[in-house]
Amino acid sequence: MDFYYGLAQTVGIHTLLGLSAYIVLLTGQVTLAQAAFFAIGAYAAGMLTVLAGWHIVPALGASAMFGAATACAVGFPALRVKGLMLVVATLAFGEGVRLFFFNFDYQVAKGEIKVGPLGGEGFRQIRYFQEHGWSTGEVMLFVWVFVVLAMAALWWLDRSRYGAVLRAVGEDELAAQSVGVNLTAVKVSAMTVGGAVAGIGGGLYAHYTTHIEHANFNVLLATFAIAYPIVGGLKNVFGTLAAVIFVQAFLIEGLRFLGDWRNLLFGALIVAAMNLRPQGFLGGRRA
Amino acid sequence: MLDFLQAVSDGLLFGATYALIGIGFTLVFGVMHKLNLAYAAASVGAAYAGLLILQVAAGAPPWVVFLCAFLGGGVIGWLVYVTCFHFIPLSNPLAPLMATVGMLLLIDEIIVHLTAGMPQNYPAMFDDVMLRAGEFTLRGDLLLVAGVSVVCMIALLALLYRTRLGLATRAVSQQAVAAQLCGIRVGQVNAMTFVVTGLLGGIAGALIGASVGALSPLLTAPLTVKGLIVTVIGGLGSIPGAIVAGLLVGALENVFQQFRGVTERDLYVMLLLFAFLIFRPSGLFKQ
Amino acid sequence: MLELKGLSRHFGGVKAVDGLDLTVRQGEIVGLIGPNGSGKSTTVNVIAGLFPVTSGEVRFNNESLEGLPTHKRLQRGIARTFQNIRLFGQLSVWQNLWVAQNAPEDHARRGFIARWLGGQSGVRAEIAQLLEFSGLAHKQDELAANLAFGEQRRLELARALAAKPKLLLLDEPAAGMNSEEIGQLRDRILKLRAQGITILLIEHVMELVMGVTDRIAVLNFGQKIAEGRPAEIQADPLVRKAYLGGA
Repeated sequence: MDFYYGLAQTVGIHTLLGLSAYIVLLTGQVTLAQAAFFAIGAYAAGMLTVLAGWHIVPALGASAMFGAATACAVGFPALRVKGLMLVVATLAFGEGVRLFFFNFDYQVAKGEIKVGPLGGEGFRQIRYFQEHGWSTGEVMLFVWVFVVLAMAALWWLDRSRYGAVLRAVGEDELAAQSVGVNLTAVKVSAMTVGGAVAGIGGGLYAHYTTHIEHANFNVLLATFAIAYPIVGGLKNVFGTLAAVIFVQAFLIEGLRFLGDWRNLLFGALIVAAMNLRPQGFLGGRRA
Repeated sequence: MLDFLQAVSDGLLFGATYALIGIGFTLVFGVMHKLNLAYAAASVGAAYAGLLILQVAAGAPPWVVFLCAFLGGGVIGWLVYVTCFHFIPLSNPLAPLMATVGMLLLIDEIIVHLTAGMPQNYPAMFDDVMLRAGEFTLRGDLLLVAGVSVVCMIALLALLYRTRLGLATRAVSQQAVAAQLCGIRVGQVNAMTFVVTGLLGGIAGALIGASVGALSPLLTAPLTVKGLIVTVIGGLGSIPGAIVAGLLVGALENVFQQFRGVTERDLYVMLLLFAFLIFRPSGLFKQ
Repeated sequence: MLELKGLSRHFGGVKAVDGLDLTVRQGEIVGLIGPNGSGKSTTVNVIAGLFPVTSGEVRFNNESLEGLPTHKRLQRGIARTFQNIRLFGQLSVWQNLWVAQNAPEDHARRGFIARWLGGQSGVRAEIAQLLEFSGLAHKQDELAANLAFGEQRRLELARALAAKPKLLLLDEPAAGMNSEEIGQLRDRILKLRAQGITILLIEHVMELVMGVTDRIAVLNFGQKIAEGRPAEIQADPLVRKAYLGGA
């Protein structure tokens, strides 16, 4: 049973990552920076619970804030970079953050041992859940509370005028401007919300794996982040969830019996999916 | 001072390979207004393909290996075109991008599978040759790398500006619809663009393998990032830009490494990119 | 209401608009005509804020619009339609209008939360009115991309009206329309004037221009070559020459 709880945790955390990219993709900005906000959330939450003894919930709140603040700061210069250049710029930003954590040392002595991030070795012993006696099932539920909240919030945003405005900007910026939409406000706010969601995801990730290091937050994770909403379709948040389940549950776990061939199949399936259904599982249109 | 000059000259020579990778990204972007994220992986893959000839003819000289990498690159380039761009309708801009990510993962995994993840030695030419000018040395193999790269760039520019295919390619990059109406087969031009950039990429991969002495699948991610950085700094769509930027990044990277070590080197390259994005987002040269 | 003083817009060496003086008074319907390439669309784009002015001024209600971005000009009361329709194809008709409700009086009346995060119920009445006016009520949930051409044109106009503009810039609204549709468009434009909206109409279709405008200005090579009432313009030899060329 623990195995399924673990899988559910992974699906939940990756869904948060995917959702953080979903909202930014709606505005037409292709972002490879979500893994960076995820990383910031991870290190922040880890340091707050391990080094400062915080409770997990406010630590996650801080993760959300740090993620949001960084995303907001990135959002403004991102406006100056058009189209596919933004892909490169956000990719570079993500790599920059990863390199920052590669070089980041902040250790504090706790009793006889030192804890905290240690550059290339990463940040070990993030054992909040273990130290407070949480079972795997309880952690899973905790993760999913946040996933459900995030999905509900984004679903609601989608159905509001803000959601329609996001999609209008994604479709035709010139027309949106001409009917009075403030592009800067819309694009930066979407990026900020995405940063907050990614931050929470990262904070949960740090505590569920108990050991994080720079290599976890690489280009591959950044591409996973946008792969979920693209493969799932931008119609609504359930597309992203479906894609995460497809990738994590079906491909990675379900095809485990294929052993090493599974990784080969992964890339091939993405190529096949994009050729067969370029608009994603659920499609991109909204009724 | 001498150390600095030495680092610069070595870096410039190596930077010629970055220039080739950058040209590959920028040419595809210029002609099809799309990003081929699989390009660096395809180049490394082609370099590996070059090694296959050694399976058949064990004592083959290095230039045969390079030739096979060159040709292999063209084949892989065509494959990437067919799987990621030929069938997907233009109305879904995110799908081809995602498909190239899939191809990147697929190529990477094929390499890992066939080599069991072990780095492979790569033949070099003139690696025992050292030209000296006082205390200043120029490595023979790096000179070859630079020399071959220059020949390739000249050949490419000749192709683009002195042949009908080149003319058609430039026409398609400026006005694809009008070009089609003039009877140019846009699909063919696009496929040829991929083949040509694939050939370039194959040579670049082989040259990198030769100057480093070994190939490993771990090369793919950093090369992708660096290639994209070169493309953006040079200006998306500009070949002269990619050339200058490639040399610049090669030189600066080596200088950073000389004076600040490997771990901080990449951070500085990232900062260079950000400086460009803030102060000159269109890059060195416009398209 | 709208004043263009010595307006020039150059693209490199090309003088798309060259020293244009034009005044549009409140409640007027002014036409702007001229052969292709005479600078009509460029003029609209400059007024709307898409291009900065090379020299000269655009004044609206006696205030210069210099440096004001497009969305702020909309909030001052200037709305425009596009020559090649730019609808939000993946949104429904209703949503296209909803996104465009950015008039300042709407901003003042409803709170931030209601305006952005609210659902559809608060604005149903207003949007219904717009749909009624444009004859699109029966298609309100249809994706804009699926509409027939004439319906798309009507939606384009309705969307510009959603922001409650005081000045409406219409960029070739009649292109591709048949006589019956042109007649309906003419009626709609007159109704808008009756509601107090000032209109600058860029058009090629003479049937519409002559029938609905108070005054017409004629451009050629970026310069104004004639201005007057429709009948005067029709009789003007300079205008004939510009359109037909030669003697």
